[in-house]
Amino acid sequence: MRQRFVAVAAVAALVIGAAGCGRGSGSESSTAKAVGSGKASGEITVWAMGTEGEKLAAFAKGFTAENPDAKVTVTAVPWDAAHQKIASAIAAKQTPDVSMIGTTLQGEFAKTGALDPTPPDLFQKSAFFPGAWDTTVVDGTSYGVPWYVETRGIYYRTDLAVKAGFPSGPKTWADLTAMAKALQTKAGAQWGLNIQPGKTGSWQSLLPFAWSNGAEIAKDGKWTFDTPEMTEALAYYQSFFTQKLAPPDLAQGALEPDFVKGRIGSFMSGPWEVGIVSDQGGKDFAVAPMPTGKSSTSFIGGSNIAVFKDARNRDAAWKFLAWLSKPDVQVKWYRTVSDLPAVQSAWTDPALSGDKILQVFGEQLKSAKAPPPYPTWEQVSAALDTEVEKVCIGGEDPAAALKKVQQQADAIGTGL
Amino acid sequence: MAVQEVVRAGAHRAPAAARPGPRTWRRALTGWSFAAPFTALFLVFALLPVVASLLMSVTDMRSTDLRHPFAVTFVGLDNYTRLFADALFRRAAVNTAIFVVVGVPLTIVAALAAANALNSGLIRLRGLFRVGFYLPVVTSIVAIAVVWRFLLDPDAGLVNNLLAQVGLHGPAWLQDPHTSLGSIVVMATWRNFGSLMVIFLAALQGIPVDLYEAATLDGAGRWQQFRRVTLPLMRPALLFGAVITGIGYLQLFEEPLVMTQGGPLSSTLSVSYHIYNQFGFGNYGYASAAAYVLFIAIVALSALQFRLLGARDAD
Repeated sequence: MRQRFVAVAAVAALVIGAAGCGRGSGSESSTAKAVGSGKASGEITVWAMGTEGEKLAAFAKGFTAENPDAKVTVTAVPWDAAHQKIASAIAAKQTPDVSMIGTTLQGEFAKTGALDPTPPDLFQKSAFFPGAWDTTVVDGTSYGVPWYVETRGIYYRTDLAVKAGFPSGPKTWADLTAMAKALQTKAGAQWGLNIQPGKTGSWQSLLPFAWSNGAEIAKDGKWTFDTPEMTEALAYYQSFFTQKLAPPDLAQGALEPDFVKGRIGSFMSGPWEVGIVSDQGGKDFAVAPMPTGKSSTSFIGGSNIAVFKDARNRDAAWKFLAWLSKPDVQVKWYRTVSDLPAVQSAWTDPALSGDKILQVFGEQLKSAKAPPPYPTWEQVSAALDTEVEKVCIGGEDPAAALKKVQQQADAIGTGL
Repeated sequence: MAVQEVVRAGAHRAPAAARPGPRTWRRALTGWSFAAPFTALFLVFALLPVVASLLMSVTDMRSTDLRHPFAVTFVGLDNYTRLFADALFRRAAVNTAIFVVVGVPLTIVAALAAANALNSGLIRLRGLFRVGFYLPVVTSIVAIAVVWRFLLDPDAGLVNNLLAQVGLHGPAWLQDPHTSLGSIVVMATWRNFGSLMVIFLAALQGIPVDLYEAATLDGAGRWQQFRRVTLPLMRPALLFGAVITGIGYLQLFEEPLVMTQGGPLSSTLSVSYHIYNQFGFGNYGYASAAAYVLFIAIVALSALQFRLLGARDAD
């Protein structure tokens, strides 16, 4: 019995000891240091996920050809393990020099103080899409640069759209509803439009409608979900489910085959679908920009790439990133893995400007937005996803749902 | 050499115990040096994380504190009070409770029925059935999930097609919030009853045959024999089964993760899944607090089962 008391006392002492520490008010220096001139040298260690992780090592030979003293070592990290692996590396202070950072993770990792501020002498903010650059800026400082981008538009079957009376796709919100209806009644589609009815990532479908309606999800460091603009957008989003225009429980992997078969007349998604639909044998399709409410504003996603503070070879790492951000290298990277360039001037290259569908995405990217890079965004977006599902499938009132999202978001905070 | 020393020391225990002499110290040293590898591993990899997570649960530690893990604020029991105000956690707790209350008895009854059938010789090809019932236990949950998703598919699935044969229209089992948790319960029972069945089978075979002979002479029927002879003698095995299954089911995680991702409408979100999500969001302090609440629930359930099913030597 006495031993137990000793154990409890020891734990209590440790707790009080930990309590004595407290969070320091002064944050670490977040001013960017300049990068030395001259060629890069030494080994640069890079972590990259997915296809990028597989293809970057060979692609970086272009960099080492220009900088013969430098060596780029790429470690491919699976997307599932990326968050955990980077977090562990930061905790152990064993980070690589450079890592690809998904835009939604940017806030969290920047807030740990593990990322190096972007040196302004190497990178021009105006060279990138503004929405993409904004994802690197946490608490007023930019950490890393956008590497590649993606955005959302409305894919539609051109042959069915002609039958439905919308040969050039939907232009406004009213058009989108009317087209979805006509695709079902006049063109024989089972579903007029596919949008995500909930589950992880449904915010990426909802927010373009909200932004197009003039809503902002955060303002002056506070979440603003329960606004009239947002409610109107969610009610519009819900209307596709209440009017039975959008499928409430489409099976995984059924979207593209159903679209090619004409069972689904249109859907909202990103640039990667072009390849998937073509592989399924789809030919007669086109992409329309987000239908206009007050504006036509889509979502900008993709990935950033950043240098760690604990990098052993900082200057060379930033020079490598500067090389990756050169317009001609961005075009070459697009040719290698089909990643859309984050650098605006790369889009004048005929490889991109010659493609009709890419032109739509390129135009959309100029005004596309991303959610604020707050460290808690992953959690807040999960709360939003849960409520979106209740609205679309459970038939909940949009205003009541957004009130709940607002309460949860306020409780969670921005994390800054 | 050292072993001999211990053995010899053990033989002369009485005089040595009076005062700790050099021989006692040497014995202690030898003992600890044998236990040292395990003790060191246990301290570093088992006790340290447990203590660290307990400490974490009374701080506001987040993933953004990774570089300075000690520069966090002590918040007392704040995480615990927040937990019970969290609607999603309460939902997860209710889901988990339903899963345990329905799933544990169902699993035990299924295992007991299968063990009795195999033991009574009702079934030919006993070996084949034993392997068949045990197979789900050793099969990867990922493979199971794929197969069950096919079975439960609302349009093409075997279950709904069979129901259609008798004129019933089956629901979208995993996509309908009213049936999703029930589907998970049935699947988990099917997946887990095999291992209990093996344990129960061993317990059944340990019951002496003459007890049944005596009961038959006294005029007891099959059901009475089962109630008065089999069940009381199987109590230790039943207790073990209930405790192990209860602990496992309270930590429900894999099935919803691979089958439903906690949906639809959070109807299959379990407490473990909620903890997993919170760790993913970087709320380390909050998630640790939730983990300790689950731990206390497991201890409480096990204590209750010992109380209800435990040895009753007195009567």
